[in-house]
Amino acid sequence: MALPLHERAFTADAGALVRLTTDASDFAPESIFNLVAAASVLEWPPIPKPSLIPKRALEEGEQYRFHFNMTKCIGCRSCEIACNEQNGNPAEIHWRRFGEIEGGAWPDTQRSYLSMGCNHCLDAECVKGCPVEAYTKDPATGIVLHSADACIGCQYCVWNCPYSVPQFNPERGVVGKCDMCHGRLEDGLEPACVNACPESAIEIEIVNMAEWRKNYAGAESPGMPAAGVTISTTRITLPESGALQLERVDLGHIQPEHAHLSLVFMTTLMQAVSGALIFELLDKTISAITLFALVLIASVALSVSAMHLGRPAYAWRALKMWRRSWISREVLLYSLFFAGLGALTGLSVAGSLPASHLRSFMIALPPMHLLLLPASLHAVGWTAAALGVGGTVCSAYIYLVPARPAWNMIHTPLDFLLTTALLGSLLASVLQAAGGWVASLACAHSLCFPHPTVSFPIYPVLLSAALWSLNQIVRRVRLRLSRLFERRASASLLGTESLQAILFASFALVGVATFFTLARLDAVACLTAMIAVLLTRYLFFVSVVPLNMALTFVRGGRH
Amino acid sequence: MSFANQLFTRLRRKLGIDTLPEKYTYAQDPRFGKVSASRVADRWVKTTCGYCSVGCGMEVGVKYGKAVAVRGNENHPVNRGKLCPKGLSEHHTLTAPGRARQPLLRKEGRLVPVSWDEALDTMVGKFGSIQQKYGRQSLGVIGTGQLVTEEFYTLGKLVQLGFGTSNFDGNTTLCMASAVSGYKLSFGSDGPPGSYADMETADVILLIGANIADNHPILCQRLERNKRRTLIVVDPRVTKTAMMADIHLPVKPRSDIALINGIAHVLVREGLIDREYIAAHTNGYEEFAEYVSTFHPEYVAKVTGLNEETILTTARLYGKAKAAFIGWTMGVNHSTQGAVTVAAINNLSLITGNIGRAGASPFSITGQCNAMGTRESGFTSSLPGYRKFDVPADRQELAEIWKIDVERIPTVRGLTYPDIIEGAVAGKIKAMWIIATNPVVSFPNYDVLQQALNSLEFLVVQDGFYPTPTCDFADLVLPAAIWGEKEGTYTNSERRIGKVNAIVAPPGEARTDFDIFLDIAERLGVRGELYPGWQTSHDAFLEWQQVSKGRMCDYSPFTWRQIEEEGGAQWGGERLYQDGVFPNQDGRARLHCVPCEPFTEQPNDEFPIILNTGRTVEHWHTRTKTAQVDLLNTMVPHAWLEMNPIDAERLQLKPHDKVTVISRRSRVPNLELRITGIVAPGQAFMPFHFSEHNSNLVTLGAFDPISREPNFKQSAVRVERTAFTVFEHVSQITKATGRDAATQ
Repeated sequence: MALPLHERAFTADAGALVRLTTDASDFAPESIFNLVAAASVLEWPPIPKPSLIPKRALEEGEQYRFHFNMTKCIGCRSCEIACNEQNGNPAEIHWRRFGEIEGGAWPDTQRSYLSMGCNHCLDAECVKGCPVEAYTKDPATGIVLHSADACIGCQYCVWNCPYSVPQFNPERGVVGKCDMCHGRLEDGLEPACVNACPESAIEIEIVNMAEWRKNYAGAESPGMPAAGVTISTTRITLPESGALQLERVDLGHIQPEHAHLSLVFMTTLMQAVSGALIFELLDKTISAITLFALVLIASVALSVSAMHLGRPAYAWRALKMWRRSWISREVLLYSLFFAGLGALTGLSVAGSLPASHLRSFMIALPPMHLLLLPASLHAVGWTAAALGVGGTVCSAYIYLVPARPAWNMIHTPLDFLLTTALLGSLLASVLQAAGGWVASLACAHSLCFPHPTVSFPIYPVLLSAALWSLNQIVRRVRLRLSRLFERRASASLLGTESLQAILFASFALVGVATFFTLARLDAVACLTAMIAVLLTRYLFFVSVVPLNMALTFVRGGRH
Repeated sequence: MSFANQLFTRLRRKLGIDTLPEKYTYAQDPRFGKVSASRVADRWVKTTCGYCSVGCGMEVGVKYGKAVAVRGNENHPVNRGKLCPKGLSEHHTLTAPGRARQPLLRKEGRLVPVSWDEALDTMVGKFGSIQQKYGRQSLGVIGTGQLVTEEFYTLGKLVQLGFGTSNFDGNTTLCMASAVSGYKLSFGSDGPPGSYADMETADVILLIGANIADNHPILCQRLERNKRRTLIVVDPRVTKTAMMADIHLPVKPRSDIALINGIAHVLVREGLIDREYIAAHTNGYEEFAEYVSTFHPEYVAKVTGLNEETILTTARLYGKAKAAFIGWTMGVNHSTQGAVTVAAINNLSLITGNIGRAGASPFSITGQCNAMGTRESGFTSSLPGYRKFDVPADRQELAEIWKIDVERIPTVRGLTYPDIIEGAVAGKIKAMWIIATNPVVSFPNYDVLQQALNSLEFLVVQDGFYPTPTCDFADLVLPAAIWGEKEGTYTNSERRIGKVNAIVAPPGEARTDFDIFLDIAERLGVRGELYPGWQTSHDAFLEWQQVSKGRMCDYSPFTWRQIEEEGGAQWGGERLYQDGVFPNQDGRARLHCVPCEPFTEQPNDEFPIILNTGRTVEHWHTRTKTAQVDLLNTMVPHAWLEMNPIDAERLQLKPHDKVTVISRRSRVPNLELRITGIVAPGQAFMPFHFSEHNSNLVTLGAFDPISREPNFKQSAVRVERTAFTVFEHVSQITKATGRDAATQ
């Protein structure tokens, strides 16, 4: 069906090209005219309604946008309800949200309100970050559309959007967001929020994208994150506030974020595994037994991470957008790492079974034979290790998003890499010891494996523990001293009773781990350090304060 | 099998194979375009909103016998398609889980389900024996502005003529009794003279104690449409409405009489009055002019806290306006001086001739959807049809229509709502019937109310929701139909009669209030006499037409059908008193000399803060309805206390601190503190909607001597940080940890 305000150019390469069509009213459903006709018999003549959607078609280089007139808004919140009714969303999910900003002293207090759906940004981060291309910026209208069918519920868009627009619906396992009532616009009807507003404070306008990119000052407003991150297209008409500074009223309403426990475990374990591989390679202690253990841990970690998705059955789709999404890249590299680790394990097992048929079979085939050479094993091992570190770097990049300032710091990749070193060195040492024990046990039952007996040095553990702790401390101090409200708020969250206890516990545990390392109780040290890292990672997730629009002082739900 | 199926379904959900596409799909509604398929209706029923008195026209969509959507009626003259958040989600009240579904009778301390027969026989039996023992007047009945007019008319006859008690009042006394009394004082009758349309044509609009942006948001579009208006808002708080104003007058609490008299003073002094109108249509001008001569701007400035210049500007704007409109709500009404404040407002309109003309009216903006209907048809503060108890001709007229002995009609009004409550405490009222209202949350000074309800020998609570906090005291609970389940009419603030339709059937065994009343009449043996041949509420309407015929609120020209099709009909036309003839005996309006007295409970060292109570746009009254609408309740799930930064600093309180409000009566603990410039230093504000944080634990039980309306708005309190016991502290931490865990 053609859009009534313009006809979409159907060819794939048409881009934002649209063609002028006739007046919008030609497309209004018949029923609308029936209503108008019915109205004419009343004693009250219908009041001519101002058109709140564009009368003309889009031209090339233009898109639709919201205009919110703050001077007209009376704070009734009808738009919010109308949006939920339009989209049949549960009570706690609001695609259009409402907030308050306030300034001045009584009686010269100024109160204003924000009402915001999606800003249909020019540089929408949700579009860029999505690993499955669930987001598209509609070439005809500029509306940022989201496909629930394509979505796998990874919620990376939730992290990426500076306005916290996309919202995860746990009932469905997918994210959803405002689509400017695309379906209603197609019928020549204004979006539900626009339709509901008794004060005509919301309307749809046309914006020239190139001009807006040059000057988007009209998108800035108190209580809104800076428009430059994604170039919000929503135009906001502000009241004259003179010298008054209008501030958000919800600044004290900072709640811990979702803990994403599956990611806490996945990141920690994958870092430990890739680190352990490196240390084993460095100390030339790779053996079938330890590698097998690493494969086991990695497979648990990767399986757990799929449970983070709203739709784990479609986890494989995450590979799709490796060209631009850090999530796709993480998934890709970690998958390759896992494959490499598996191959290495397989070869190692084959090489360490002197009597096996497999070994004789492989030796019989010349190219296979080459694979069992120590140099080949080494090459495969280092390739896997590189992929693992690569995966960890991609993993860190996921969190380097402007919309989550406490994550968007050098400390995030540093933490991930230092964790790799700390847990890797400890895990390698523990596996080495455990492997030796298993090997001797097996040998007692006349199943002998070659298992190198090397004592791991302790300095990597001590050094990485020190650096890891230093990184955490510096991060904490920088959060507290930051100019950005969201970072300071993260620091405050970390200062709340329950979270502070966890913070102290994690530092203490790292200290204890160092002590056990010195005492060469590696297994205990490894376990302690692992718990410390898991706790810190938990804090990393719960204490982040995302950029968001100003909301209300009292509120429930999750918005 | 079904277990396996369930498991399979759950697994598909968990894996994300099933994303509930049917539930979240969109479909084309033939009238309203693409919309969530869950909101597409088979048919649309026109009705009038059941929340506030604005009286918005709406259409409710029904699918498979269930209300699925609400739309504003585009052609309705009141709202022109727009609805507030409560209206937009009103269909959810019909499917709410907390609806009352069966009669419950207290047996051995517990409310247990019983049949309607047992319930009503018990009720009639108990009321009968109590009335026999203590006299007929020992039964008190408290009604509501939530019933349709037809029901309230039926109830009046049942109570006054059937049960034979005149101790009958409505929760409307908590709301607009002062407006009624004030209109009667000045004009000789109740009846808001103007229309909403006046807000579009007036060039000066003065809103006194009216936060319409929160409480009547759909009226705001009238102001928006009026491009040349000057909007002046008088309110001690910087409300959402104050933010709409051209001029906000942040008066000290209860200084509005001084301001109004001060404006009158300037008008008289500067000759900005309509001498012709005064001479032709009013009484008492000389005394009035003399009286207000003492209200110099200098004095008024001292009392109100405004500066003289502002007072002069306001007076001149009002005096020079071609058409000036004054609207008010609870800031005026909720006071021991409410009725006379209304008279003072009327004075202003009368001396400037700002009444009975387009854009010119002293206009009470009512609260409940059918408070007005109860005023017209009620048998409470007056006889049906704005007749007076003390006028023999009025009683005679009714006796003839009803074909009863005139002696059965009381010659004076019975006890008012607060006096019924006090009567219960005093042991004079022994049985009570509370219909569609929730005094445990809405009545001031809970301690006294609690005593009253505990003193009763038998309490019947009739409500659409169960449990309500008032049900805790009930001996019998009768489940009633609510808005959307019954047919009749509401009258809005501008005297517009709106049609209300049954959209769905009541849940469970719930019955319409009308049916319940007739059934009780039957058991009392008065049905044939009081309601001859009545079957439906339309029969009540037909008789009510007859009763109101020739009265100010004349329903006889309108049929139900007409009312529905034309988007309502205003009795008395677009405005009253166009000819300047008032329903006083001499046909003239009275000017009253209204003194400005300090409010009852002044702050002192122990209770230094003046507590103001009010509403928020997301909720309605005591939340029996809106707490059931998840969407609204999630928006504002609990109460808060607003306090000025100066006081907060003095008390060393931070935003979101949990505070306790303490008055001479009681305390409300655990309120979330909002530190804000919305309220003045020395004042605090909290919403009254929340039973969990019941503001009426601390409010003052003082009542207007004329209207008997409570003084909800000014109570002396102090605010402290909520002290936790060690146990509570631990449970708080556990809760906080639990919440953290929940977010995982």
